[in-house]
Formats: sequence, C-alpha cells, structure tokens
Amino acid sequence: MAVIEIALTERLVAPWAEWQKRYTAGRRLLEAGTYALTEGAIAAGCRVFAGYPITPATDIAEYMSKRLPQVGGYYMQAEDELAGMHMCAGASLGGLKAMTATSGPGYTLMHDAYGWAITNEIPLVVVDAMRVGPISGITGAPGQGEFYVARYCTHGGNIETIVLSPNSVQESFWLTIDAFNLAERFRTVVTILTDQVISDMFEDLFLPHDYAELGGIVVPRHHNLAMPFYPLNSDAVDVPPNVVGLGTGVCVSAYTHTEEGYDIEEMEAQWAQTYRLVNKIRHHRDQILRYEAVGLEDAEVVAVAYGAASRTVKTAVLGARRRGIRAGFLRLISLWPFADELFGRDVRYLVCELNYDGQLVREVMRAAPDKRKVHFMGKSAELHTVAEVTAALEGVARDGRVPGLPYIWTDV
Amino acid sequence: MNKLAQKYLRPSQIPTKACHGCGIGMIENWLLQAIDELGLKQEDVVFGTGIGCVGRQTFATWGGDNFGATHGRALAVATGLKIAQPDKKYLVVVGDGDAAAIGTSHLIHAARRNLGVTVVCEDNMGYESTGGQFSPTTPAGYVTNSSPYGMVEPSFDPCDVVKAAGATFVAETTATQWHQTIKIVKKALQNDGFSFVHVRFPCNENFGAYALGTRDTLKNLEWIWEHTQGRTADGKPTDFTWETGIKHDASNSRPEFSKILRDLVRKAGGTPASAALDRVEGVVVDD
Repeated sequence: MAVIEIALTERLVAPWAEWQKRYTAGRRLLEAGTYALTEGAIAAGCRVFAGYPITPATDIAEYMSKRLPQVGGYYMQAEDELAGMHMCAGASLGGLKAMTATSGPGYTLMHDAYGWAITNEIPLVVVDAMRVGPISGITGAPGQGEFYVARYCTHGGNIETIVLSPNSVQESFWLTIDAFNLAERFRTVVTILTDQVISDMFEDLFLPHDYAELGGIVVPRHHNLAMPFYPLNSDAVDVPPNVVGLGTGVCVSAYTHTEEGYDIEEMEAQWAQTYRLVNKIRHHRDQILRYEAVGLEDAEVVAVAYGAASRTVKTAVLGARRRGIRAGFLRLISLWPFADELFGRDVRYLVCELNYDGQLVREVMRAAPDKRKVHFMGKSAELHTVAEVTAALEGVARDGRVPGLPYIWTDV
Repeated sequence: MNKLAQKYLRPSQIPTKACHGCGIGMIENWLLQAIDELGLKQEDVVFGTGIGCVGRQTFATWGGDNFGATHGRALAVATGLKIAQPDKKYLVVVGDGDAAAIGTSHLIHAARRNLGVTVVCEDNMGYESTGGQFSPTTPAGYVTNSSPYGMVEPSFDPCDVVKAAGATFVAETTATQWHQTIKIVKKALQNDGFSFVHVRFPCNENFGAYALGTRDTLKNLEWIWEHTQGRTADGKPTDFTWETGIKHDASNSRPEFSKILRDLVRKAGGTPASAALDRVEGVVVDD
C-alpha cells in the first residue's frame, strides 16, 4: 500500500482548550490522575469530601484528607457510599461545594442520593473510577461498564444527567473544574466517569501556581435566598442553588415538590418538575458538548471511544491515516447528554470500549444514519492494543467488518 | 390554631395530615413547647425528617428551613448540613423504620461522631404508612399485617444501641408523658452533641387495630401507659415493661463532630469554611 499522508484536522471542543492557553505560570509535576482530580476539585472551590474507600478511587479520598483541611475544608469518611453521597448533598445544601468519589460497587449504592440531589437541584460532583465488573470484578483492571448506569443513575426516570469523562492526567484537572462549574450552573449532579487507567497512571501534570487566579473560570457558589426555590416549567440555567440554614424557609425533600418545596401529589406539579429537570439540561446541550476529533471531515471510517480506551485508538487512527486509510477519531468527553449531532455523517463507525456487552456502541447505532455501518470492538479488563485497533480499522474500511480477532466480541 | 403553631409552623401545612387520633401532631406540639421554652427562634432550628408516617406528616410543617431525606438517610444529610452550618440546632424527627431499620448504621455512626443533632425517634412500632408491617421495634409476638402468627423476631431498643455507640444524651418517653417529654427534649436540645429521644406513640389504624384489637385512641394510649408502669389498669403485670426517662446524660462532655473538623482545619493551618453568611436580600456570592 502506498504511503499517503492525509492532512489532519484536529480539534478539542472543551473549555480547557482555551484555559490551557490562559494559565501558563505554574508547576510541572509527574502525578497520578487521582491527584490531578483532587487538585481540580480544590481549585474549583470544593470544600467537602465524604466517601468510602474503594479501589481505584481511594487515592482521591486520601489526597482529600490531606488537602481539604489546608484550604479550610472538611474530609469525612462515611460508613458507606449511601452516607457519603448524602453527606455531600447535605453539605452542598448547606452552602459548600462538595464531591464524592467511588468505583462501580460503591457507585450503584449511590442511586438513592443521586435521585435526591438531582430532584432537589443540589450541585454536586461524583467521580466513578470505573473498574472491570460485574460487581467487584478485578479491582485493579480498567472497565467502562457504567456508561448507561451513569445516565440512569437513579430510579423513577424523569431526569436528564450530565456525565463527563477525561482521558489524561492533565485533563482530569481541568475537567474537574469544568464539572464543578456545570454542577453550579445547572444545579445538578455532574458525574465524572474516569477509569482505573486514567486515575492510577502517572503523567505530566501542569498546575497553575495560584488557584485564586482561576477566578475568571471558576463559577462561585451563589445562594438563592427567595422564592421560587424550584422554578417550575422553566429550563433556565444559572439559577442560584437553594441553601438550608440561612432561614429562607426552603423545603427540600424526596417528594414531588411545589415551587416552595412542599410535597404534593398532583399530576400538574409532577409534569412541571419533570419539565424543569429534563429540559434545563436538554435545552442547553450546546453548553455541555465536549469532544476531541481528528479528521472527521474526510473520514470514511470513524473510530469512536472515550476515557482510557481512546488513547490507543487515537494512536491507531493516526497510524492508519499515515498508511492511506481515511480514518477519523472521535473521543467523547461529554458522554451524556449524548452527542447525536456528531454522528450525522453516513460513514462507517468503529466503536471501541472496555466492555464486552457493548454500551456506547448502542447509542452510536441509534444516532448514526445507518446502524448496519456501526461496528463494535469490545475489550474487557485491559486496553485495546494499537495493533488490534489498526487491524479492525483496516477490516472495517476494506470489508465493512471487524476481522475475527480472539477475545474481541463484535456481535451487538 | 394554637399560639405555638402560629409562632413556629407553616399555616399552609397544618393541621397535620396524619390519621385521626395519631400521636404525631401531639408530639410535634410538645416539641414546639420545648423549643419555645428554650427561647429558640424559627431561624435557629433546621427541621429534618425521613420517610413514612413521621416523615410525611411532619415534613414542611416547621416554619423555618426543612429537609425530608430519602428513607433512612436523614442523619447523613444532617451530617453534611451541620458541618456547613454549624451554628444551627438540628431537630431530626424520624420514625422507627428510619432510625431502627433502614438507617440504623447512620444513627450509630452519628452517635459515635457525637454529631450535634437531636434525633427524635417517634416510634409507632411498625411500618404503618405501608399498611402495618412489623419493624425492629415491634414487641415480639405481636400480630401485624406481616406477622399474622405473631412477630417471631426479637425487637431491639434503639436507646441501647446509640448509648453503646457513644451518644451523649439518651432518653425514652411516650406519647402518654407530656411533661416528661418536654423536659427531655429541652435537655436534648441543650446538648452540644448527639442527643437521642425515643418517643413511643400509638397507631390506631394499623398497630392498634391488628396488634391490640382496637382503633380507640384512648385505649391504645392506655396500652402504652400501662407498659411504662409494668401493670394494667386492673393491677395485673404487663407482658413487658418500658423503662422511660433519661437513660444516659453525658451532655457536653466530649467535642461535637463539626467542631472536631473545624479544629482540624486550624491545626492544618487553614480557616474553616462556612456558608453562614450575613443575611442579605437576593443572590449573594460566597467566596
């Protein structure tokens, strides 16, 4: 095959693409993703962490236990994950920014608190450092099994969720600030889906030397001191969060609420609440969309991935282009709301993710013009190798199918 | 509406939605009396509840700030609130399901931490809002809608549990003991630490109807009173006895949890973060 260099169009659509240019004075470190995530939270103004130890998220708790008291904050080790997230919700309701971190087995225990915080529009950041499952699986191996769980993170439906996923140590820092900002602006829980590779690995990390200088990008906590506490039938963002303890008379509960926060059993109130919880996010999808793309404009086959999996996939795509395959790369950073608008071109898609059951691929099949052109390459508990992705890209580009490699499930 | 209700409650949320003859409204009135006698104002107290009869009937009745947590997690929410707003009094009013079943681990650990809240466990001895099933505080042997042959499990006393866990104030009382309850709640609220007040009250619709065979409020109250005395009205010994009164008072004997965390911040060289701001109108920025 002749070697043809195809011109690259690369873009990162995320707020930190600009932040990275603006903040250049600081420290360069060799640090872990968990460290970067912790510092991102501190920089964003997080002053409360409550959680329960679990691999591979425990390091975030340990870093927090050291860092928070230094900046006036509070670390709490809860009796379980249910308590951890409820404590964070309480602290945020009391006016302090808060975060918790866990992994799959702890994540599913948080669904109660998720529903409560989302319904009551309490800003909160939850980190899920995914490992391979189901259940405890292998504690030190990466997985991407909570793609759908993070979207449907509580019972009862009638919600929309915001989920972000980083793919490097550096990005873990900026993305965490971003997650806190979105949580404040949308008055909701923002989930960071990271994974064992991105959270445990050490990499080059730049930290701005004075977080106080990040004032231009960090959204501060505001307090809503007056009615309406829950704007019904409204999709407005940047509504200040409610605060308990300042005597506003706010009511916060697990029930369907009125705009004062009283429990109510009338369908009109239920519809009004649902309209708000769903549409404050859906109507502002453009403000949440974050992704990285290479060669999307001319690609005939687009490899799609997120998180750790995207690292080897991107390398394979760049290599394939050098060898004359019109391959493109799409890394989703905002996983939910799902970026349907990025799948408008009627081309072949190769979706690579760290599970065998296929989760992200189902959304791509739904969003793409022709689902028969969407191919799945799952891998469980370890990253795809560059060689595997390269072979799959070649197969999809040439024959419209993934070659039958061992241990790679393609039947979705 | 009585004067205390006018002073402290939300006119739109009272009278209580509880069933006829339920003790919840009466106990809440006593709580207000204790609050009033301590000179506390509406804005001094954050009122928290859980799920079930007690959660549903008391949520949003308080005129100040209210929260109704998910089932069992009121103390976890209160823990977060307390560290963000440490100067408030937290009155967490929950049922026996919240305190003694689904939320017991949070109760134990809040007691262990000496979290500065007063928990009032209003115990109607079963899951009554779901139709009358037995709970961990239903007396053994009694008939409920999920123990038609009599409750086969032994019951447990949440006072013993929180005392063992380190609660600094523990008391037990009933809906038949007005003055004792007010005295106890006042003491509980004055403890800068974890206070637990266990108040048994009758459910006429379920526990009364199925376990005791009557929906008569006075008869159900009498059954409770007899069990605090150890003998029935006609002088026979009761099948068991509830010891009521203050069971453990170590008020203000060890540091309160949020204070421990604030002290830790100072030790680490920081200034404790707090969202307790000067009150202003409209939107304020805290940084």
